[in-house]
Amino acid sequence: MTEFTPKIVAFVCNWCAYGGADNAGSQKLEYPAAVKLIRVMCSGRVEPEMVMQAFRQGADGVMVLGCHPGDCHYRNGNMKALRRFRLFSRLLAQFGIHQDRFVFDWVAASEGKKFQTVATRLAAAVQKLGPLSLTGYVRQGEPS
Amino acid sequence: MAKKDTLLVLCECGNNIRDKIDLEAVRAWALGDSRISQVVSHELLCSSAGKVFFTAALKKFKLRHIIIAACSPRAHENTFRSLGVKAGVNLADVNLANIREQAAWVTANKEIATQKAITLIKAALARTEYHEKLELRSMECLTDVVVIGGGIAGMEAALLSSQAGRKVTIIEKNIALGGRVIHSEELAPNMECAPCLLSPRLFKIKDDPNIRVVSFAEAVEVVGFFGNYQVTAQKKARYVKESCIGCEACFEVCPVSVKSDFHLGLGSRKAIYTLFPGSIPAGAVIDRENCLHFKDGSCAACVSACPFAAIDFSEQDETLSFSAGAVILAIGSETHAPIQNRRLGLGLLDNVYTLAEFERLANSNGPTQGRILLKNGSPPSAVAVIHCAGSLSAEGLPFCSGTCCVMALKAGEFIRKQIPAAAVYNIHDRLVFPGPEMQSFFDKQVAHGTRLLKTPDLPSLTVAADQGQLLVTGKNLQPLRVDMVLLATGQQPAADSGKLADLLGIERSDSGFFKSDHYFLRTTGSTLDGIYAAGSCLGPVFADQAVLQAQSAAGEAVSRLVPGRQIELESMTTEIDPELCGGCKLCVSVCPYKAVSFLADQGVCAVNEAICRGCGTCAANCPSGAAQAKHFTREQIDAELEGILDD
Amino acid sequence: MKRKSSRAAKAAKISKPALRRTKTRKYAPRAKTAAAPKPKVAFYWCSSCGGCEEAVVDLEENILEVTAAVDIVFWPCALDFKTEDVRALPDQSLAVAFINGAVRTSEQEEMVKLLRAKSQLVIAFGACAVQGGIPSLANLKDKESIITRAYREAESVVNPKGTLPQENTTLHGESLTIPRFYETVYTLADVIPVDYYLPGCPPTRSLLEDALHAILGNRLPARGAVLAPNHSLCKTCERNATKPDRLMIQDLKRIHQVAADPESCFLAQGLLCLGPATRDGCGQACIKANMPCTGCFGPLSHFDQGAKMLSALAGIFQAEGETAADHFAASVVDPAGTFYRYGVAASLLGGRRKERSHG
Repeated sequence: MTEFTPKIVAFVCNWCAYGGADNAGSQKLEYPAAVKLIRVMCSGRVEPEMVMQAFRQGADGVMVLGCHPGDCHYRNGNMKALRRFRLFSRLLAQFGIHQDRFVFDWVAASEGKKFQTVATRLAAAVQKLGPLSLTGYVRQGEPS
Repeated sequence: MAKKDTLLVLCECGNNIRDKIDLEAVRAWALGDSRISQVVSHELLCSSAGKVFFTAALKKFKLRHIIIAACSPRAHENTFRSLGVKAGVNLADVNLANIREQAAWVTANKEIATQKAITLIKAALARTEYHEKLELRSMECLTDVVVIGGGIAGMEAALLSSQAGRKVTIIEKNIALGGRVIHSEELAPNMECAPCLLSPRLFKIKDDPNIRVVSFAEAVEVVGFFGNYQVTAQKKARYVKESCIGCEACFEVCPVSVKSDFHLGLGSRKAIYTLFPGSIPAGAVIDRENCLHFKDGSCAACVSACPFAAIDFSEQDETLSFSAGAVILAIGSETHAPIQNRRLGLGLLDNVYTLAEFERLANSNGPTQGRILLKNGSPPSAVAVIHCAGSLSAEGLPFCSGTCCVMALKAGEFIRKQIPAAAVYNIHDRLVFPGPEMQSFFDKQVAHGTRLLKTPDLPSLTVAADQGQLLVTGKNLQPLRVDMVLLATGQQPAADSGKLADLLGIERSDSGFFKSDHYFLRTTGSTLDGIYAAGSCLGPVFADQAVLQAQSAAGEAVSRLVPGRQIELESMTTEIDPELCGGCKLCVSVCPYKAVSFLADQGVCAVNEAICRGCGTCAANCPSGAAQAKHFTREQIDAELEGILDD
Repeated sequence: MKRKSSRAAKAAKISKPALRRTKTRKYAPRAKTAAAPKPKVAFYWCSSCGGCEEAVVDLEENILEVTAAVDIVFWPCALDFKTEDVRALPDQSLAVAFINGAVRTSEQEEMVKLLRAKSQLVIAFGACAVQGGIPSLANLKDKESIITRAYREAESVVNPKGTLPQENTTLHGESLTIPRFYETVYTLADVIPVDYYLPGCPPTRSLLEDALHAILGNRLPARGAVLAPNHSLCKTCERNATKPDRLMIQDLKRIHQVAADPESCFLAQGLLCLGPATRDGCGQACIKANMPCTGCFGPLSHFDQGAKMLSALAGIFQAEGETAADHFAASVVDPAGTFYRYGVAASLLGGRRKERSHG
């Protein structure tokens, strides 16, 4: 059996969180290679449906990172994202997806260290949980 | 089948990428990919030589998609996109895979870093299949200015902007310009005549062809961004035509008398009135609430009295719209009235006034024509001024306004001028007289006889009626018997400031005043580019500061809004597909720029692409999938997801 | 590549033209053209409440028009046919099978596969067949907990021995077999290829009539289409005019907590209405009864209805800051049940991890 390498998708806003990841890079702060970024202009662009799609397409953990409150490049897109993903977390739990597989957080463009911490922490949590089996309660062999 | 239509450009970034990623392995993988037609690499693509190399490669291979595996798009997306555009490639087709910050620099193991780099290129490749062309757009900035508020700061901002040749619209809530400086007779510290200060400027505005005054009006909508604002104002009907010159012939015949706001309720005016004689605009206004014509149609006295046939009861409220490159806010502040502190007696006891009210009494255009009198008509012989009334307290204003001490001592000057024998007591704890001018003003007042009574227990002060006089008592204070008590109250944000901030999308500080973009460096810039603020709407200031701030705001606005200057518009705007849109309007309120609106006649929502900044929040809020953020569409992101999860 | 092509297929599934093409009612019933045999039609139900069968009965006198035009050869709910009768039919001999209900048992699977083989067209009829419907809320729980709850814990159950149903039971030497209860609930398209979708809980009479006319008049849109307009309910909702252009919700209320105004937009009243994320075509039956939309017609296009509505609702909720956001999140009682009442089986997270393939 091969060792489980989690796949992690990070939706990041262009202005803060993507910059935070760049900052982690320029400081040469290592984080698990499994963490891969999808850049959007604002965390307010990230739809819960995209996160679901990420899980469905094989991600074992997902994070959505935006600007700190008050720092949004587009005034308050991050606040809309906050409301969306707080509610979304509750929904995930109902669908049987462990809450540790999803993270919503703030990362400023200068916070390379924080990006590294958040990314590493999620990777570790997902490593512990194992692969996400979105087949849910479906057993192989049923209607074929 | 996939088209081989992609050029992959690998950048070694000196040794930054070369040492950490096996670029040969990347190249080998790329040559086997079904989409990549050519792979080229360069040691430093952002160098001059690299740029030449890049342009040459674009021209040589003429491929539709260009993927540059290099550094962060935050660093060089624009660099390579503009080179691409110059070489005839659409900007949507030049994209970076960030293999430096996201792989080379953060992954110790070269093999894993190489694998990640390939995945990042795959993701970039996957989304290109769904890319659509983007358009580079720009517009010439609008150079006109809208000023909201016609007090001393707003007037100054308008005059200065006009001087630079700009068209200015002043939107004033009151029926005429003047703000609060006109409430004063003289301004400290040099006791300059306030009307004399304002009057020439009022006439200058009146005669300035560049300045349009829209009074009795309020801004109801502001959309846009720096260089391109659209301001909508609601202008109330005056019921008096512009031919009115303010001759006041109608005042005598009008049978209705009401309390005057201009006199802070201390005097009265008729149902047809002007703000003050010589106001700009000069014309009168009929107060619809109280006019008998509007009540029951029983009166038309003003119609027959008017020598200019200016009365027009049929006038309607108007909605006006103005385009401007910048908006300057100068809505001022309001006097705090500490009525919740019943012990101070404000509104309860005769002869207790705020300093603002006192200034009306002492003003020659005031209700008593400038005579300082008690309610019984006699002049006061002893007056107490209580400092910090309602200030520095949790239930009142939690801060020091910094302006009331000066006004408090100015009251003494006014009193002594009329009643030389009157005793003036200032009951205070702290005193604020910043700078040499203010300090000498203070020294002079003390020398002229103002008496200072210091007590650390200001909150304990009580004012009570006592044998026709007022008795001020408190801890650590000898009971003081006076005829009049003046409260030195602070300044609070104007009642409209919250509404206006919401309308504009700008921030306010904890105290409720408009927040500066930067305390030191951009005091008169609001938190939104192109919206400026000046005067006491930023916090309590004296008139001199208000004027300076107005000059600062107007100066910055006009120096940036240069005629002919292009402002870049967003390429990656959101579009709404009218076929799919159900007109549910849930995208409208989430737009931070009010770029989305509901078109009632078509039953769908639409994005104004001149205003849209491309955040995509409305697309995320569209429950029918009709709104799509260009270059960040659902299909593109889904494809990118497949790409990054494909390893 | 497979996924990409399926996405393209989904994109092509947008069924805008569906209703337009089926607008004309008039067609020449084949019955009247003498000798030509009438097309054969089957109706079948799987996991459902029976409401979809009612919808067919609701055709009232028009059912006579239908029976004049077609032969109903299988309709277990109304007429006495046996499975053997269906088995005896040649493959593809049925013009169309309307199948309602979700699929959860081996019997249902067997029957829908049988009907698929015998039918030229299969129509997923009603919310359960289209998206899993109410039965697929069960996918939020596992089979064991459902069985235990139903046979041991439910307040109305008396089962002192704690007996649970068994697939095979031997009693007095006789072997009894009941259908197998699957681990999860499936949409019809998870189990067999589906040609058209008629959503709704139940589909409305007019949609059913339109579909029948389209089939008989040979005016069907491209296969895979949903036979209802591809725009949201708001587009035809009379209350939409009362919705403020810039709607922000201050406080979310539930329908039993207020006397809903019968004319204003529910969302504007702070009542959660799924209309914005729900396909039109229902005739606004709930809205007219002063009840907000609960989403039975499913999403537009191929979207995830619940995710779309959740995102929109959160966007227009007036709550700044983390505490306020938490308060908002907590104010939505049962998010999954609210946003996915009729569609857990078809949702991105709760559905079968298999792309639908059509045709």
